[in-house]
Amino acid sequence: MAARRVAITGLGIISPLGLNVAETWAALREGRSGIGPIKSVDGSKWGLKIQNGAEVRGFDPLKHFTGGKDAQLDRFAQFSVVAAREAFRDSEIQLTPALRESSAIVCGSAVGGQASIEAGFEDLWVQGRGRVHPLTIPKTMANAGASHISMDLGLSGPVYTISTACSSANHAMGQAFRLVRDGQADLAVTGGSEAIFTVGMLKAWEAMRVISPDTCRPFSKDRKGMILGEGGAMLILEPFDAAKARGAKIYAEICGFGMTSDAHHLTQPTVDGPARAMRGALTEAGLAAEAIGYINAHGTGTPGNDPVESRAIREVFGAHADKIGVSSTKSMHGHALGAAGALEAVATVMALHHGILPPTANYNERDPECDLDYIPNQPRAVQVEAALSNSFAFGGLNAVIAFRTARS
Amino acid sequence: MSDAVADKVISTLAQVKRIPAETIKLDTNLQEMGIDSLDVFTLLFELENAFKISIPDDDVRSIKTVNDIVDGIKKLLAAAPPDASVGSASPAN
Repeated sequence: MAARRVAITGLGIISPLGLNVAETWAALREGRSGIGPIKSVDGSKWGLKIQNGAEVRGFDPLKHFTGGKDAQLDRFAQFSVVAAREAFRDSEIQLTPALRESSAIVCGSAVGGQASIEAGFEDLWVQGRGRVHPLTIPKTMANAGASHISMDLGLSGPVYTISTACSSANHAMGQAFRLVRDGQADLAVTGGSEAIFTVGMLKAWEAMRVISPDTCRPFSKDRKGMILGEGGAMLILEPFDAAKARGAKIYAEICGFGMTSDAHHLTQPTVDGPARAMRGALTEAGLAAEAIGYINAHGTGTPGNDPVESRAIREVFGAHADKIGVSSTKSMHGHALGAAGALEAVATVMALHHGILPPTANYNERDPECDLDYIPNQPRAVQVEAALSNSFAFGGLNAVIAFRTARS
Repeated sequence: MSDAVADKVISTLAQVKRIPAETIKLDTNLQEMGIDSLDVFTLLFELENAFKISIPDDDVRSIKTVNDIVDGIKKLLAAAPPDASVGSASPAN
């Protein structure tokens, strides 16, 4: 079968910027940050130093799950299902028995439901109880989000989860793109979700000394690190021709995917690995470097990532790098780890769809080590032809997705 | 007639399924009210904590109605004093 074009026909998101696509995009296009004091975790008893995060606020599981089902899903899986439902509704696709069986679900998550097993460990070792909650295992498993989407929407084709730390969602969406492109699936629900606000996980991040004491200032000279986030986002992918035939709204196309590894260091990035991933995405998409007008950067706001990513972009794009708007929306929704690429895919797709590039918020001061156009603080109204979204993970795993505006 | 064990079983079941306790009767069939195996595991976990007992796996297989659970718990309570090692854990939401 010849390679098929892949259309994005539905979007769903729960993020620190809002509980759906409309709320989240409204914040992104205004450069409004969802970062603030952490309220869901009280770590004072354990001397927790991390004060600020990007939490999903106002999410009530009982509005989405009845009959006690809410207690069967870890928060990360609740995000998966609710985001998938929004994306599915948005796509307005009508399922047939055959389509259900050829629908794929590929999700990313870095830590899955580890909050649930942490609660079990607390029962055992802190509270001294002799037992843990009986659903600890199915709530903790990393595939819970994908499995619950499958049961919720009745999709029975290939369903799996990819866990590659901060690149998880990009790896997942890249795989889903190829399943649809190559004719192995006629519909895909894909994205990522993460929920990491627990004392144990915050203490583990604190120990890595990469968390900013105030906010996330990607590419700004005074940046002090990342801000943890949470949430979930899902995309509906379909063959372009099928989407067009049924008159679907097409937000954009996924047209390429590049993945590489650094083979270098657990936490220190290289220029070469990310550069090769960006080139790979361009090559697969059949896009000239000059077609790219926007890059949603990995842009963690750490001293280490931002200059290296900037150099990688310059290496790939040369002089054209100065003509690309590069922003890190982590400055607004925080770093949602295995969900990051999915949140950023929604930002990138909406940027292409509306012709508005979301800014890098909290940007104060130019860093000579970061010499690109970071769309500081103010969104930019410009219709670009194509965009990349970068995700680079601990362990040196790089995943880049290429999007382009939907052409007829 | 007030029955503390039955009241506790019904209130716990209501909490697990997020439904009003008034809708649950002693002769209510668990399967018919949409209680699946995962709900049963959660229910038994809560009841073990509430009554400080340990419910053997073999006793679980024959449960069909709310009353089966009430009777089983009464037998366990009569056979042995409460198991003090069982704490009052709350579900890990």
